Amino acid sequence: MKRMHIILILLIAVMIGAMIGAINDSSSYADFDEAFTNPSSEYHVVGKLARDREMKYEPETNPDLFTFWLEDVNGEEKQVVLHKSKPQDFERSEQIVLIGSAEGDVFHANDILMKCPSKYTDGTVQAKEQASI
Amino acid sequence: MEYTGEQLLIGEIGNFFILIAFAFGGLSTIAYFLAEQNEDTSWKKIGRWSFWAHSLGVVGMVATLFFMIFNQYFEYHYIWQHSSSDLPLRYIFSCFWEGIEGSFMLWMFWHVIILNVLLRFVGKWEASVMAVAVSVQVFLTSMLLGVFLLDYKLGSNPFTVLTRQHPDFVNLPIFQMPDYVDLLDGRGLNPLLQNYWMTIHPPTLFLGFSLVLVPFAYAIAGLWKGMFTEWVKPALPWTYLGIGILGVGILMGGAWAYEALSFGGFWAWDPVENASLVPWLILVGAGHLMLIQRKEKTSVLTLFIMTALSFCLIQYSSFLTKSGILGESSVHSFTDLGMTGQLAISLFFYVFLSIGLIIWRNKDFPKNKKEDHLWSREFWMFMGALVLMISAFQIEFSTSFPVINKLFGTNLAPSSERIEYYNKWQLPLAVLISAMVAFTQFMKYKRTEPRLLLKQLSLSIGAALALTVTAGMIFTITNPLVLLLIFTSSWAIASNLDYVIRILNGKFSKAGASIAHVGFGLIMLGALISTSQSDVISENTSLYDVSVLGEDFNNNENILLMKDDTLMMGDYFVSYRGKETDGIFIHYEVEYMQADASGQLATAFTLYPFIQLNPRMGNVAEPYTKHYVDQDVYTHITYAELEERKKDIKTSEHSIALGDTIFTQNSFMVLDSLDRKPQLKNKGLTINDLALGASFTLYDVQTQAHAVEPLFVIRDRQYSFSVPDSVPEAGVTIQFQGIDPTTETFSFSVVEKDPRYREFIVMKAIVFPWINVLWLGIIVMGIGTLLAVFQRFKRL
Repeated sequence: MKRMHIILILLIAVMIGAMIGAINDSSSYADFDEAFTNPSSEYHVVGKLARDREMKYEPETNPDLFTFWLEDVNGEEKQVVLHKSKPQDFERSEQIVLIGSAEGDVFHANDILMKCPSKYTDGTVQAKEQASI
Repeated sequence: MEYTGEQLLIGEIGNFFILIAFAFGGLSTIAYFLAEQNEDTSWKKIGRWSFWAHSLGVVGMVATLFFMIFNQYFEYHYIWQHSSSDLPLRYIFSCFWEGIEGSFMLWMFWHVIILNVLLRFVGKWEASVMAVAVSVQVFLTSMLLGVFLLDYKLGSNPFTVLTRQHPDFVNLPIFQMPDYVDLLDGRGLNPLLQNYWMTIHPPTLFLGFSLVLVPFAYAIAGLWKGMFTEWVKPALPWTYLGIGILGVGILMGGAWAYEALSFGGFWAWDPVENASLVPWLILVGAGHLMLIQRKEKTSVLTLFIMTALSFCLIQYSSFLTKSGILGESSVHSFTDLGMTGQLAISLFFYVFLSIGLIIWRNKDFPKNKKEDHLWSREFWMFMGALVLMISAFQIEFSTSFPVINKLFGTNLAPSSERIEYYNKWQLPLAVLISAMVAFTQFMKYKRTEPRLLLKQLSLSIGAALALTVTAGMIFTITNPLVLLLIFTSSWAIASNLDYVIRILNGKFSKAGASIAHVGFGLIMLGALISTSQSDVISENTSLYDVSVLGEDFNNNENILLMKDDTLMMGDYFVSYRGKETDGIFIHYEVEYMQADASGQLATAFTLYPFIQLNPRMGNVAEPYTKHYVDQDVYTHITYAELEERKKDIKTSEHSIALGDTIFTQNSFMVLDSLDRKPQLKNKGLTINDLALGASFTLYDVQTQAHAVEPLFVIRDRQYSFSVPDSVPEAGVTIQFQGIDPTTETFSFSVVEKDPRYREFIVMKAIVFPWINVLWLGIIVMGIGTLLAVFQRFKRL
């Protein structure tokens, strides 16, 4: 069973390689504090929209640029530049995950994931349209 | 509070069916277990009859839930949550399986159908196979119980009344009315699921999942009885049926994503997609090891591992998607219903059962004395199975980051370059797999003559090389890995076609496997070319240079289209023509034009990407795609202003005499004369109307003159109204409001829109070349697999 043993060792080696590769290529979740202490390295930052701050989207000049402020889980607020179009329904988002890195005072995000008011459980009850006269 | 009109009986009936399914499922498992252990036929009879009673319970609860959805009993939590009174009937199925409980019921329903068919084939394996299979049903039914065991809530019951599920609702005003049932409306189906693919994709996928139970039950039965190779023959056709249906089901999900979601493609390596792909990869590996074992009785251990793994991975993916653990990393997993523990127990039970039995029996497995020959079919099929295992491992490991984070307190997040991240591993593995698919078909079991093999393969190698060179030149592909995969996948197609024609002489009855392999090659080729050569043609042509922010931020994938402007985009000229609201849909008309021979722009096609308005669940943009044979032009709205910008509109009133001037922000207009015989055509006026026109000359900021003539009309000498006129270039609309004969002045109202503001959309357009090869591949693979399965069933 000599050849089988070599194959087995190769198999395990490749799997370990896949694991290490996956971890090396992965990003990590962080707060603004960590993201801004290591500028230019990529992080996933979880937070929510700072609603009282300015939000700017001027598609006339650049449809792929949208700025807003995000409050991270520790309550720290930072300006975010999203290099994408403003997501439809953005104002309704409950939770935001930004993927990008800090540069200077601003967090540059290449991608955004939003959780809108949970699709399955929120506590509002609705009456039928015709009944609400 | 006493409520009237609640349909409480139907829920009791549903609960009764759940209890029947649970109790008789348990009884059937125990009876079958005892029948196998004691070789007792009366226990077997009890097992079979109680399985039938269990089947009745499952079918009954499915029927009950359908009945409740159909009759819109919103007093029930499940119906309230997933349906609404305005839901079109055609989405009743999507509604059924939108929630966790419904998807469990769908899964159990398929198990019942499959196992009842299996009973006709199972013969002497009945007691052992059914004991394993029905035990799975017991676990699944327990997910629907919704009863409390001490403090732990076991399962989530779909027949729970809304006010019991949400006791806090009782304080809401609507529940203060005894007849609240007549007023209550459901929350509605997620708009993304209101799509025909969602009617056929989940049942196909779950049928595929369910079929994996059969080879697993046979494998465990084989270990249990100590019959390590005999179980393979009866399990084999079920395995391939599972491979075919699960494969098609997964790719149907891709078709849904491509048609209805706006992430721009059919596959995004989303955790939920991965969770269903991985068991399929392992099942394909197991299926091929079964073929080896039918011929050579080798690789017993690996086959047991892979068969058990395929089923355990389905349990694992059910855990991933239904426990809510993927919450942050996936857009379409379920939220937590508090079943995490229960799902984990069900997963661990089968993992430990498999591991335990394999370790216990390992020493008795038949071991082959000599190694497989290097030039033999079985060796390369075995290698193929191992490559599939690596591929599955790489995907599953990365998909499991949320689980790893939970277990080890790490902070791993998926790479933001998800597609590159997976392709780095999966592309080379796909090269290996498709090459093996190409040459292994021509190999013989035990030993192949290398020179003969090479001779037989030369034709398909030549064909594949020709195709690779052509594709490389057409698309100017320079990436060697992409070229290599084009070569190997077209080699797989050519070689298997060649095999059907030359070796099998076109005998279709034997060609199932080869046809399925042709389909696999087409899927690889279509997926590779359509994604690697896809072209985002909607590059932003704005003046703003984002590249100053650094290389990474050069993300110009969206184009801004002002209404009626024509911009160049790829091979097309494109123009936004306006929007039309149809119920909850806003359709945006986007015209694609191409220059004809004389240089004139002519309409090539018009697309209507749309936004679905849903105040409860969020607005959803859905794409619209023009399908050609050789390419698709995919378009979706990434941003549109859904509300009029009122602050930009200004209205003013003016009373002026002849020769006077009205000034607006960006223009001025002079009342030149009165027109006593104005044009009445196309203004809805008749010859009997008395109309007076006010002829203005309007000068815009470029001091260009425009004639504008609003009308004042008296109809039937009784009432008057005005016909406005406008100058869109200046954003001005004028209404002729009235005449004051005493002062000889005329009153006008002027509505100004900020002329800088025009309606616009931001959209993205992608060209996917040859994506039809992918869809064709799915159909071919499905047909080939069914053909092979049919032959195998005939030989049972």
